[in-house]
Amino acid sequence: MLSFIKAAAGGGMTGICRAQGHLQGPLHSHMKVVASGLKTYEIPPDFNDVVLPDKAKLKFMNKVPDLIKAKKEMKNLRDIRGPAKTENTFTTGQYAIVAMGGGYLHWGHMEMMRLTINRKMDSRTTFAHWRIRAPYKPITRKGLGQRMGGGKGAIDHYVTPVRYGRLIVEVGGKVELREVEHILAEVAKKLPFSAKVVSRESLAAMYKEQAEMEQNNQNPWTFKQIAQGNMLGIRKVLSPFDLRNHGRFAGKFHLPGRV
Amino acid sequence: MAATLCVKLLRKQGWIPLTHSVRHGSKAVTRHRRPMHFLKQKLMAVTKYIPPERGAPPGAYPPQTKPVQEQDTALMTVMKRDLKTLFQNYKMIAVAQNNASTSEDMMILKHRFFKHGIAVKFYPNQVMRSFLSASVYSNMAPLFIGPTVMFVSKEPKVKEMLMVLKSSPQMTLLGACIDDTLLSIQGVVNYSKLPSVSVVQGELVSGLTMLTSNTAALLQRHPAHLSALLQQYVRQESPDGSTEAT
Repeated sequence: MLSFIKAAAGGGMTGICRAQGHLQGPLHSHMKVVASGLKTYEIPPDFNDVVLPDKAKLKFMNKVPDLIKAKKEMKNLRDIRGPAKTENTFTTGQYAIVAMGGGYLHWGHMEMMRLTINRKMDSRTTFAHWRIRAPYKPITRKGLGQRMGGGKGAIDHYVTPVRYGRLIVEVGGKVELREVEHILAEVAKKLPFSAKVVSRESLAAMYKEQAEMEQNNQNPWTFKQIAQGNMLGIRKVLSPFDLRNHGRFAGKFHLPGRV
Repeated sequence: MAATLCVKLLRKQGWIPLTHSVRHGSKAVTRHRRPMHFLKQKLMAVTKYIPPERGAPPGAYPPQTKPVQEQDTALMTVMKRDLKTLFQNYKMIAVAQNNASTSEDMMILKHRFFKHGIAVKFYPNQVMRSFLSASVYSNMAPLFIGPTVMFVSKEPKVKEMLMVLKSSPQMTLLGACIDDTLLSIQGVVNYSKLPSVSVVQGELVSGLTMLTSNTAALLQRHPAHLSALLQQYVRQESPDGSTEAT
């Protein structure tokens, strides 16, 4: 605001001077802008190249997939263990919620995210889109009061498995991180796994830091070396999962600070 | 874990591997972290990430190369002017290292030097080096390290200076510039052993006069003696004569 005044005063003054050339000398000496209290703000980022999609809001997700015949599945916990191999980088957005552990997202979580983000974000300047599929993995339950046995129960609901590093929701548009961070942070803390808000830069910095840690590790003994070499028969207590992830994960949990 | 537990329990009863089925596959615990095997705990502890040692923060140590001070102060300019006149007027400029000499020592030294007409001068090394780098005496620059003193005199009184310096152990002679010649300590000592210029000139004159006096004495003697000497000389000069003579 102040910078605007300063600019206006400066511009106006030069304009006056230009219009009345004969008064230039004395006018300059009398009209002085006191610059001591004025503040220069940094130039806001340029959003000219940002293209907003037609439908900026999060889409509604089906509670139950549209299948001809629903088949019961096994638990298959592999789909929440370890790091995400896909959907772990940005596509069109700038900011996102990233999962810092594995877990299952229900339809309820998605509704919560959708309603909160759609209500709080400004759809004229911001857009958001999903990076996860609608619930597709069937979870079975036995009915209440039923005796054990008698085979597998009926499909109760569907979930979406999420691994560590997976982006959940992506937000972009003509906004800065500070404008949308509080919305995303409010959503992120309600998810069934630890999640945090990242921007393109901070996510890249996170991966870079991990790579640097691996490179600059001063410990001559690494998990990878010991596990692959089967030193002292340690493979007896290690699983193929540990061989792949070098002790960075315990089941669906990510162990921070390990290489 | 379960498998290992089974092994532990059943080992005592004589466990036969083929008759028992060990349950493999997924471990259906997703709500909490499964307890880690003790060996794996040890492995995790051994293979912890150790960050590289943090370097010293910037500015903790002085920079290796000091920024060159281009701007001379007024005092430095005056000192440089003094030095210029000093190098022009004085024939002997000796540099010595001043090792913890007290003011009393210095006073005695100055007094002794004063008797021989030698002055003691102090200049900051920084000024000295910046002066020397611009002048023809730039090879003297390595002498000016640490606390240094200069002994200057209009005449090269090296012998006297060395004599005085012998009695003051605080001063270590480093080198000298005498008659626009840079000399090491050994060079200075050799220079001091040379006879004075007047003595050398006298020797030269006496040598020259001796030749003429010998010629005059020869002419005053009998001519037969002179002719015999000349014949002998001719015989020696000719190659045949030299062989005969020998």
